[in-house]
Amino acid sequence: MLQAEHICCGYGGEPVVRDVSFSVKPGEHLCIMGPNGCGKTTLLRALAGLLPWQGSITIAGQDLRGMKRRQIARNVAMMSQLTSVYFSYTVYETVMLGRYAHRGPGALQGADRQDREIVLDCLERTGLLPLADRPITQLSGGQLQRVFLARTFAQSPRIILLDEPTNHLDLKYQVELVAELRRWSSAGDRCVVGVLHDINLALEFADRVLLLEKGEVRGIYPADDFDLEALSRVYQMDVAGYMRRCLKKWE
Amino acid sequence: MSWKKFAWPALLLLAVLSVLLGVGVGSVFVPPADVLASLGVHFFGMTAPEGLDEITVSMVTNMRLPRVLMAFLAGAALSMGGTVMQSVLRNPLASPFGLGISAGAGTGAALVMVLGLSGGALGIFFMPLVSLVFGLLTVVAVIGFSARMDRDLSSTTIVLTGMVVSLFLNAIMSFLSTLSPAYAQRINLWTLGSFSMKEWSQVLVLAPITVICCLFFMRFSAELDAMTFGEEQAQLLGVDVRRAKWLLIGLVAVLVGATTAFVGIIGFVDLIAPHVVRRFFGSSHRRVLPASALFGGCFMVLCDLASRTLTAPREIPIGSITAFLGTPFFVYIYFVGRRRR
Repeated sequence: MLQAEHICCGYGGEPVVRDVSFSVKPGEHLCIMGPNGCGKTTLLRALAGLLPWQGSITIAGQDLRGMKRRQIARNVAMMSQLTSVYFSYTVYETVMLGRYAHRGPGALQGADRQDREIVLDCLERTGLLPLADRPITQLSGGQLQRVFLARTFAQSPRIILLDEPTNHLDLKYQVELVAELRRWSSAGDRCVVGVLHDINLALEFADRVLLLEKGEVRGIYPADDFDLEALSRVYQMDVAGYMRRCLKKWE
Repeated sequence: MSWKKFAWPALLLLAVLSVLLGVGVGSVFVPPADVLASLGVHFFGMTAPEGLDEITVSMVTNMRLPRVLMAFLAGAALSMGGTVMQSVLRNPLASPFGLGISAGAGTGAALVMVLGLSGGALGIFFMPLVSLVFGLLTVVAVIGFSARMDRDLSSTTIVLTGMVVSLFLNAIMSFLSTLSPAYAQRINLWTLGSFSMKEWSQVLVLAPITVICCLFFMRFSAELDAMTFGEEQAQLLGVDVRRAKWLLIGLVAVLVGATTAFVGIIGFVDLIAPHVVRRFFGSSHRRVLPASALFGGCFMVLCDLASRTLTAPREIPIGSITAFLGTPFFVYIYFVGRRRR
């Protein structure tokens, strides 16, 4: 589904990500983990075509480099970390923006019936239907995060990229988000690549975990057979000990 | 809310009433029925009703109507320019004048006055043409400098470059004013804007520019909606942000440059109208753009009415009236917005 080979990218000529290669199968969830500044978000931005990159990225056999922005948006949706909003669009209008890439170039053409049905479905799936007419400037951080998740779904992409999507979500919605993503990716040729900091949630979310350190891949592990030692080396702390201490508090 | 259903009919009614009021009120009051009858006589060859003389018909159709229409078009153009710039630059306090259009156009007009240039066959269009060319060249310079400094053409770079270039051109304008005291007052009056002595020929130039730009902006309403969430978000949704930004800023430059060239620098309507309209029509550009045009047009017609009637027979510069109403509004938006954040 997604194939990345020898990816190098960065900012202002300085490489942040070096020679990263991995692939994601249809229906699979890949979690990218690593300490702050290791290049997780930079790698996601390259996969979304937001940054120039060296190497090759293919989506369902198509080279990302040859795609126009609309075509990229029909294939890849990315939910970034929460940004401030200045104008009071309603929840419905914001989610409808996800359909932009599926409409014709003449934007005077409004949303058609299919667009409206998809948007209403996404609102329902994210529990936002009762808030559809509310201005987004009146929402809490968590509600706004769900609006952007609904917009990501409304984009009907093949690949969803998530950059710390649970920042403003409470525990219930974090678990629901993972379940909803699992439902989404199980229907057809779809996959998810996410950056998550919470180890427990990451293992709940992912089929495989890619460990990144200083812009380089340190290993790709199955989530159900995860190498905590490797994680400890990358984070330069005793991750297993920390998790044991957390568990002890509950016991 | 249910009252929002009445927003469009109310705005359309306001537009009709403001035009009738603008045409009817002046040194001689012409009742709305006589205004409509005059239009019928002049444009459709209808028979004048009893009591309506030729002088009134001529005054309504040849003097007041072009002035009112010019004010309406200028208000509409500046409001749409403000709406587009606020969305493109993702800044609720952005203005098309931030691109240096006014400073460029003003410098062009000041040069024409100080150097005593005349356009021969171009007649009354010479100074507007020079102003437009200077305004557009300034925008090209601002965008060119911004693109050189920042390949991504970020909003912050454009705003900062526009500010620096505007300050530089304002300094040149001030210098030209001091060089020729005889023209200092004319330059000052021009920079405050005016709708006096406007003719049909000017209306017929500005009207198609305004309508074509409005249709073009409407065509880009979805892109504008996406861009208000930030450039990266818009790209992720599928918008070719760089292309859209170039086109939209270019069109704003032409629209606002042409308006400024004809009527001088009139501030604040570009800032006020989009904010007022968003309160009643929401933020979607499919509604905000036409509503801004209508509201801005009405606002400008009423401001012009105030400018020529409050101290009649002397006129208050229109820029003073819009600034007088606009300054408290600007302060309100700034402080209330900050408190909310």
